Amino acid sequence: MPEAINLIITQPFLQRALVAGVLLSLCAALLGVSLVLKRFSMIGDGLSHVGFGALAIACAANVAPLYFSLPVVIVAAFLLLRMSESGRIKGDAAIALISTGALAVGVMVTSLTTGMNIDIYNYMFGSILTMSNADVALSVVLSIAVLALYIVFYNEIFAVTFDESFSKATGTKVSAYNMLIAALTAVTIVIGMRMMGALLISSLIIFPAVTSMRLCKSYRSVILTSAAVSVLCFFSGLLVSVRFEAPTGASVVCVNIFAFGVFSLLRAVHTSSRLGAKLKKALAVLISVLAVATALTVPLTGSVTVYKKEKASVVATTFAPYDFSRQIAGEDAEVSMLLAPGEESHTFEPTAADIMKIEECDVFVYGGGESDEWVKSMLSSIDTGKISVVRMMDVTENLREEMLEGMQEEDEHGHDDESTAEDAEYDEHVWTSPKNAERIVFAISKALCERDPENKNGYEERTRQYLEELSALDEEFKAFSKKAAGRHFVVGDRFPFKYLADEYSLEFYAAFPGCSAQSDANPTTIAFLSEKVRNEKIPVIYKVDLSTGSVARSIADSTGAKVETLWSCHVISADDFKNGETYLSLMQRNLSALERGCRG
Amino acid sequence: MALIDCKGVSLGYEGNIVAKDLNFRVEKGDYLCIVGENGSGKSTLVKSVLGLIETHSGHLHMGDGLKKREIGYLPQQNAAQKDFPASVYEVVLSGCLASKKGVFFSKAQKQLAEESMEKLDITELKGRCYRELSGGQQQRVLLARALCATKKLLLLDEPVTGLDPVVTADFYRIIKRINREYGITVIMVSHDLYSAVNYATHILHMKKDGSFFGTVGEYLSSDVYKAFSGGERNA
Repeated sequence: MPEAINLIITQPFLQRALVAGVLLSLCAALLGVSLVLKRFSMIGDGLSHVGFGALAIACAANVAPLYFSLPVVIVAAFLLLRMSESGRIKGDAAIALISTGALAVGVMVTSLTTGMNIDIYNYMFGSILTMSNADVALSVVLSIAVLALYIVFYNEIFAVTFDESFSKATGTKVSAYNMLIAALTAVTIVIGMRMMGALLISSLIIFPAVTSMRLCKSYRSVILTSAAVSVLCFFSGLLVSVRFEAPTGASVVCVNIFAFGVFSLLRAVHTSSRLGAKLKKALAVLISVLAVATALTVPLTGSVTVYKKEKASVVATTFAPYDFSRQIAGEDAEVSMLLAPGEESHTFEPTAADIMKIEECDVFVYGGGESDEWVKSMLSSIDTGKISVVRMMDVTENLREEMLEGMQEEDEHGHDDESTAEDAEYDEHVWTSPKNAERIVFAISKALCERDPENKNGYEERTRQYLEELSALDEEFKAFSKKAAGRHFVVGDRFPFKYLADEYSLEFYAAFPGCSAQSDANPTTIAFLSEKVRNEKIPVIYKVDLSTGSVARSIADSTGAKVETLWSCHVISADDFKNGETYLSLMQRNLSALERGCRG
Repeated sequence: MALIDCKGVSLGYEGNIVAKDLNFRVEKGDYLCIVGENGSGKSTLVKSVLGLIETHSGHLHMGDGLKKREIGYLPQQNAAQKDFPASVYEVVLSGCLASKKGVFFSKAQKQLAEESMEKLDITELKGRCYRELSGGQQQRVLLARALCATKKLLLLDEPVTGLDPVVTADFYRIIKRINREYGITVIMVSHDLYSAVNYATHILHMKKDGSFFGTVGEYLSSDVYKAFSGGERNA
């Protein structure tokens, strides 16, 4: 059996994705036919924007996103219908008004409260692979309800879609059925947002319907073909995403585009007046065979990267824990890092291969802060019985993410998820203090020794050596801290060095808190920092590695200070990674950069 | 008792009267054509008969066991239908919706749809796609659907708009046949005065200043007809 199919059958998280996804695809396909025929294609798009707005508010108000957006989107659907039925505002204009309005409100609420956090990213691009059991259960129940209602009212929905005037005249409650369609669409959009993402869900509604209408001549065949196309495209998209380690939502939409192309080609052949009947048939068969062959060979041939374990293994999310683990592991264990060098940690979305890698590993190390919020739902969706999980924030002393004087306030990363709410204000960049690094190294080492007792001696020996090096680094920083007493350091960027600063009593001014994804400072912040630099004759202004550094540059330009880089060791650039930089080497660079800021 | 008895009815919405003091009766088996200029309230009258809007004043009474949802209505076509993927059978069967009990159509209703298609000679089009039919064929399909919804009264709103003369003549013959053979009463809104007086038994000529109602014979000798047809000829 092809590996990709085998995986979908055997991996529980892929099974869940399959079940929830197939049901969603069915709902979307059925409703899509009515929406397209009623000239309401854009309603899906409009409602997904409303969903985004609702989500932003839910995140700000700390309520569960799904339960909050569901009623809001349903109400918006009714409102849309009412506006376009009353004829005062045309249907497409009504949709544009509501969708852009909701988007603007969402962006405002987001920027005024929590900032773009992981939950919002999750819903913008969907995350079908990390759905928790509760999410899957809710989606399944809602999808089945949508399907049941659609089947029960199939004839009424057809009549209302085909001819409202006639249906009204024969006593059918047209507006009630229009509301039913709108409500079912709203439910589908909301659960679809969780899986496919707010940006992609409307394509799942429109594509199968339009595709099947290329060829089908009766309503029933349109419905059935649309459902079949939708389910097959979802299945194939899931295979593609497993095979190529691509995001699932986008893969499904791409397969839908392919199906649309094939159906359009078949229609062109069918309606061509130049071709003879026999040739038409032959061409149609040829196209169909080629299409199916492509659809099968692309995701089913070639090997899926299946993680095959030969020795003990450690999986770490980001660079710092990855580097700690490889120092301890030596040749005895395999260490891998989930975030590719240079990848933005806030928008990271694990692929099927990543999740399987975690399932198979012995020790899994992650931060526990906001940027790897996905870990929680992922861990709840896999069997963690054989894994030692090290959450760095559990083994270190955590500090609250603090507002420094002059810092831009609105960008603070709050959080909405009930169970992590209390961790939300804690800064997650715990490793920036060498003291904390020692604690983390110790925890990883302990977990690895427990999981792989055969190599215990090697691990312990390397841990001892590495701890010595860390403690030497600690001494160097301590020495530096004496020199730096009374001085200020200015970071024209986000500030992930809270732990470092606290450990060695270094005094910093910075533009944004550590986790902010924003890099545009407001004029007040820039003015405040520039004044500090000028008044205290500070020679160096810092930017953080991988940021654009625009704020630091603009302060440097107005004050004559030099821009230097500090490394957060969260995610490092591809070049640094290739050059074999380590936590120690980067912290040394930080130390010398800070020393240069003490001159003059 | 008359199927429809209309006494002193005024029509209009939001205080804007479009037609006043309408008086007419439709008996079983009648063929009534409603004519009149644009804006004289023909469509509003149709909606009132269908029960979709209230009359402003007067009595619009349904008799002889006629219920509002038992009227076979043939509305003007809308743009969305032109490329609607539905088979002829599906469209015709949807006419049975008002009498459907439970989730699915009954055997008797499917039988009724088959019979309606036979009456209109479109049985061989059953599996064809509605959007691929000619305008005349599409009107027959909608007429078959209307026949599924009624055994008593057909209400047609300008059914020949956009059809060519040959197809139009054909369509009028079908309506006449349904009227005669099956004893179904017909009310038709029409622009086509010539055909109206040729096929109908009664005429309702709607005018702002007093409408005319009577048999075709009475109508032909009325001043209203002379003024209107004369005006038409001069136009």
